[in-house]
Amino acid sequence: MNPRLVRSFAAILAIVLAVTACGLGATATPSGRTKLSVGLGFIPSVQFAPFYLADRAGYYRDAGLEVTLQNRIDPELVTLIGQGAIDVGLADGTSVIPAVSQDIPIRYLATVYATYPSIVFAKVASGIAGPADLKGKRIGIPGRFGSSWIMLQALLRSVNLTPDDVEIVLYPDFGQGAAVTTGAVDAATGFANNEPIQLELQGEAVVVLHVDDVVALPGPGLIAGTSTIGSKSDAIGAFVAQTLRAMREIAADPDKGLDAAIAAVPELGQAGATQRAILLATIEMWQSDVTRRDGLGAIDRDGWTESIAFLTELGLVAKPVGVDELVDPRFLPVD
Amino acid sequence: MNLRNALPVGLALVVFVGAWKLVTIVSGFQPFILPPPEDVAVRFVEAWTEGIMAPHAAATLREVVIGFAVGAGLAVAVGYLLARSRLAERVLSPYLVAAQATPILALAPLIALWFPDGLTGKIVICALIVFFPVAVATMVGIRSVDAGLLELGRSLRATHRQIFTTLEIPAALPSILGGMRVGVTLAVVGAIVSEWAGAEQGLGWLVILARGSLFDTPLMFATLVTIAMLGVALYFLVVLVERRLVGAR
Repeated sequence: MNPRLVRSFAAILAIVLAVTACGLGATATPSGRTKLSVGLGFIPSVQFAPFYLADRAGYYRDAGLEVTLQNRIDPELVTLIGQGAIDVGLADGTSVIPAVSQDIPIRYLATVYATYPSIVFAKVASGIAGPADLKGKRIGIPGRFGSSWIMLQALLRSVNLTPDDVEIVLYPDFGQGAAVTTGAVDAATGFANNEPIQLELQGEAVVVLHVDDVVALPGPGLIAGTSTIGSKSDAIGAFVAQTLRAMREIAADPDKGLDAAIAAVPELGQAGATQRAILLATIEMWQSDVTRRDGLGAIDRDGWTESIAFLTELGLVAKPVGVDELVDPRFLPVD
Repeated sequence: MNLRNALPVGLALVVFVGAWKLVTIVSGFQPFILPPPEDVAVRFVEAWTEGIMAPHAAATLREVVIGFAVGAGLAVAVGYLLARSRLAERVLSPYLVAAQATPILALAPLIALWFPDGLTGKIVICALIVFFPVAVATMVGIRSVDAGLLELGRSLRATHRQIFTTLEIPAALPSILGGMRVGVTLAVVGAIVSEWAGAEQGLGWLVILARGSLFDTPLMFATLVTIAMLGVALYFLVVLVERRLVGAR
């Protein structure tokens, strides 16, 4: 074989090995704290106030953690966490089910959004009051995939409708909120703590359709890779505990969360009233009957079971999975 | 292609697949990060036999063919104008270069909004990405036509149309088709980007679905293989046309 070819091939192999080795860095810092990389949603937001508070107030540090917050999109985050490139993240429960069914080794550790945040909203003037009223209406959505698409199908199915009974209008740039404002669509998918709040702040009466009344889809929560759970069990437990502590404190005193968010992302301070409204709506979504009974972070196993069945019907589950393969509640506080 | 020519191509494919397999073994990447070639092959066959891939491939092919036809057609006309009019070149060139330099990924969501009916926006994106290489190739081709031949044509009182059809186009054809070779592969890129900017069907949309909703990495790779095969097939189709029109080069 040509020696130059052999050398080139060896160089490629060396690069591959070096890249692989980069992911195997030390996890303890000189101070003895455990490094933990944490992936949040794509855009820094007041919705992540518990993480900002726990980070800036030193809760993580005092618990022996050195936390690095990163912003990632959901599919990328799930894969990176499964790979072990990121330790913990905030990801949608409805992403965890298909991901685990595809052998991505992750577990859902604690619920952050006990109420499913993805909703359908419309102006009251549209005449839409419930899912049945969506028939024949123009509905804006970023795409026929992801949590909003799952939620919309669940809502429609609850009144024996299908996506064919409505007119789907795609807004891949997430401009569906503006489309409701201008009347380009009758209703749109969005997040309970975002578009409807913004519309109400503009003085518009808004109707919001929640999917929780139909099927208790698991909302975004803390997830980690199984290998990370095994190798950093104490650190993961401390992270979950301190995050839930920050959530409880913000629920009791929202301004504490708002201040922490503005300190972490100063741009948020330019629209303080809007950010406060978003945070209050977010806090509301941390709660459900299950969390009021079992505490913040509690996992609704029945909801997960229902959701597995629903996502299986939608063809999103490659092979059967059980709740125990999806959730790992060991890090939740025991009352 | 005879056996002697096919052998190196087959060997290159074997080396590529072998290297891919080796990387999956050496790197230790789990299949959801980098699936081994056999997993992708199985998913590829499943996706085609179960009817998953075909409608998406057909949708993308339609966008590519129409987008390429529109983009290349306009590009040949504009390229001719640029070659024959210095004023047109001075006026239009900055805009053409600026359009080419602007990332299509940034423009695609805007174009999708301007043409919300679906197919039109995708055709515009494909046409836009195809336009520049074909226009430049046409301009270069037309300018390289032998001035002596043109002079001879004029001295024989050939009309503009006769000079255009019998001298300029045949002489510039190798260059134009060279631009089209590049353009047709870019048309595939344009179609995929346009589907990422909003679609309900197409191979680009299937990539998003496989990655974002299904977490089905082998399906994503199988779709990428299909996209690559589509690009290669269209490229060789242009080469075939080129050989029929101007012979092997």
